[in-house]
Amino acid sequence: MTDRPHPILIIVAALVYVFLMVPLVIVVGAALSDTTYLTFPPQGLSLRWFTNIFEISAFRRTIVTSLQIAFLGTFLALVIGIPAAYALNRYRVELPRWLGTLFVLPILVPEIVFGFALLKSLTVGAGVPIFVALLIGHTLLVLPYVVRVISASLASFDFSIEEAAISLGSAPLKTFFTIVLPNVRAGMIAAFILAFITSLNDVSVSLFLTGPGISTLPIQILAHVEQFFDPTVASVSVLLMFLTVAVMAVVERTLGLTFLAK
Amino acid sequence: MPLKGAAGWALSAPATLAVIGFLLVPIGIVIAGTFMDPRGIFAPYISYFNSGFRTTVLFRTLQIAALTTIISLVFGFMTAYVVSRAPARLRSLLIIAAVFPLLTGVVVRAFAWLIILGRNGILNNTLIALGLTNEPLEMLYTQGAVIVGMVYLFVPLMVLSLVGVLENIPRDVLQASSSLGASPVATFWQVLLPLAVPGLIVGAVLVFTGSFTAYATPQLLGGERQTVLATLLHQRAMVSFDWVGASTIAAIMTVITISVVLVMTNLARRINPMAT
Amino acid sequence: MTQPLDINAVSAHYGTTKVLEDLSLSVQAGELVSLLGASGCGKTTTLRLIAGFLTPSSGSIRLGGRDLTQLPPHRRDIGLVFQNYALFPHLSVLDNVSFGLKQRGVPPAERRKRAMGMLERVGLAPLADRAPGALSGGQKQRVALARALVIEPPLLMFDEPLSNLDAKLRVDMRVEIRELQRANGTTSVYVTHDQEEAFSISDRVAIMNAGRLMQFDRPETLYRQPANTFVARFVGFENIVPFKVVARDAEVVTAETSGMRIRLSQTAYGPIPDTFLLASRPDGLQVTTDLSAKGLPATLGLRTYLGRAYQYQCETAAGHLVANGSLTAPLESGTQVRLVPAPEQSCILATEGGR
Repeated sequence: MTDRPHPILIIVAALVYVFLMVPLVIVVGAALSDTTYLTFPPQGLSLRWFTNIFEISAFRRTIVTSLQIAFLGTFLALVIGIPAAYALNRYRVELPRWLGTLFVLPILVPEIVFGFALLKSLTVGAGVPIFVALLIGHTLLVLPYVVRVISASLASFDFSIEEAAISLGSAPLKTFFTIVLPNVRAGMIAAFILAFITSLNDVSVSLFLTGPGISTLPIQILAHVEQFFDPTVASVSVLLMFLTVAVMAVVERTLGLTFLAK
Repeated sequence: MPLKGAAGWALSAPATLAVIGFLLVPIGIVIAGTFMDPRGIFAPYISYFNSGFRTTVLFRTLQIAALTTIISLVFGFMTAYVVSRAPARLRSLLIIAAVFPLLTGVVVRAFAWLIILGRNGILNNTLIALGLTNEPLEMLYTQGAVIVGMVYLFVPLMVLSLVGVLENIPRDVLQASSSLGASPVATFWQVLLPLAVPGLIVGAVLVFTGSFTAYATPQLLGGERQTVLATLLHQRAMVSFDWVGASTIAAIMTVITISVVLVMTNLARRINPMAT
Repeated sequence: MTQPLDINAVSAHYGTTKVLEDLSLSVQAGELVSLLGASGCGKTTTLRLIAGFLTPSSGSIRLGGRDLTQLPPHRRDIGLVFQNYALFPHLSVLDNVSFGLKQRGVPPAERRKRAMGMLERVGLAPLADRAPGALSGGQKQRVALARALVIEPPLLMFDEPLSNLDAKLRVDMRVEIRELQRANGTTSVYVTHDQEEAFSISDRVAIMNAGRLMQFDRPETLYRQPANTFVARFVGFENIVPFKVVARDAEVVTAETSGMRIRLSQTAYGPIPDTFLLASRPDGLQVTTDLSAKGLPATLGLRTYLGRAYQYQCETAAGHLVANGSLTAPLESGTQVRLVPAPEQSCILATEGGR
């Protein structure tokens, strides 16, 4: 193309990217500092703050809880979300339009209101254990991502393939598992990753669903930052960034990252 | 064929029931509860708007969300324009660079600005070292700090959604414009921008509702001095145990968010020339 | 107003792949020239180079006295009609048509007058206030045409303008395009992959293949006297057989292939070199059961019905050939026949390197 953007626009875009990247670099630098307070550039290189994470029992516990909730919540969301996404595409004509909107609601309503509502009705109102309420909250929180991503990959699926399989004598349920699911595998991977990351990073829903002995990692980080200003949180942040990089590498190899830009 | 529809309902039933039972009903209970106050049906709202502090919080939250949206929109659009024009290799690299912060949690991203803007933070140290100021500036716990943190949160989202919008504008329409004698600047104002407006509105709604309801960023960078609706809600519920007050805030947040989404997406759909 | 276009030794690359090689082409003022070929032949690349959406790696493009090669697209003053119409979806039909005038600083009142005049000429004046989305394909194409014509460009270009229309409308529209072009006398370049469309609409046709110009001539010449086997096959000379002259007797030449002999008259075919290729359309090989006729011995294979004739797949010592036979006497598979070349549906090509 001959129409290159105006130099001023290119400079602005470059500055925006600097703005996006620099804070993350600073966090990494601060995590490597040998000092007991947060500083940048790091003074003396050390990994002691990384080992410190695991010496604080609250971090150990919340990391485990966060991973449990993220895995279970994502799994449950896939279990109820995949059939829903399938139904929305396969029975597009028969099902009402508002049903699709319903599955977007968890990201449409303010997350913090959702968390508060769960606290009020489940934990306080119905005496549901905190862990279960947390799991329910996270399952619903990631459901929209699952339904949307699976729907997107089903949108290009030719349902006459399924009919062909059934006409060849395959039972409908078996056809779903042998024909439909393998064709949306890429979508399932993407949905899993997006949901897992969303759950792991969530603050607003988890905020109200913590209690004695149960909290998630982001909530623990918040609490820690408000009391101590040492590089431990920077180290946890770096660990989370590593996880993000690993996830992005997986996505890149399976789907190509531009998939996430839709 | 009623049977086919039934299968569709059956397959979507678990998810449907989960959303209704665990989201719609609980939020409905919260909102309904605010109208059952013994003092009168609108009493919680009257007392909310009678409190100077709480109305200040509401307007502060709206102001922060509006400024965040405008700033993200302007910089996001310029950046997205450059990204969408970049050669393929650079383009996917820039998209990855925008996805990465998006996948990094909000706490981590707010925390980064805590290191930068703090009293002994990098920015203050740099300013002092350069001799631009003698004593550290109070940057943290200001509205500016919250807005910077929010823009940082939402610019990547804006860039990614606008790159999609810009790439959906058919290339030959832009080429038609220049073949008819429109300079790149004229093409931008007369063709590209009008066609991008619906997408800009959708992006703006995303950022506005996100920053209107954000908790972690204002909590860390704004503190009590910059209380917003989300932090006030948490404080009323978990510190003061004022359930009615917290529910009222929740109701106000929900109504404003849903109204903005409905009105603006409808507007975007109505003025979308590519829909017809 | 109208100006000649000169493309001089232009080459173009996409990355490292060469998509256009050393193309030279001159379009006279007022002439309509088609670029014809399959997808990937370089015809669209050529159009994009002229329009300025691509820059050539070498060579130059001149329009009238101006060198366009380094000029940005918006300063080239070329009317362009796109395959997908490329109407501005946010502007009314009238605003679409006046867009180019606005860019040229024409005052609003005159802009409106000229745009309405042009819409009248394409029969769309009543739809001036509609949104383009509400128009049919044929109407969109007319708006696109009006939009390109109203700026009175010295050069008009069409990029497969009719390929999204149905067959009947396509024929009507091409007549309409030709009439408008003739009336304005605008130099035009027309890109298409449809041979009938190109031949019917053009003064001259440039047949392209793999980034090269194969032949540039009037449609009648291309149809009767292709310059090489590529063009010959393209215009329907399906049977191409190599021959060697064994005897010359005044105007009559005796030539041989794979042990078979035929006699050809130079009064009908023109001068015949010592080695040549005989190219025949299926209609140009007469099927006869008279085994004494001077033709190629063949055994008939599958017969298909074309409506105006029967077509036979034929096996000969020189290979597989296709010939059309009369409707009155259908022949059975396995029949021994002679295939006699008819000069009006056959031609002589020079032997090409390699074969």
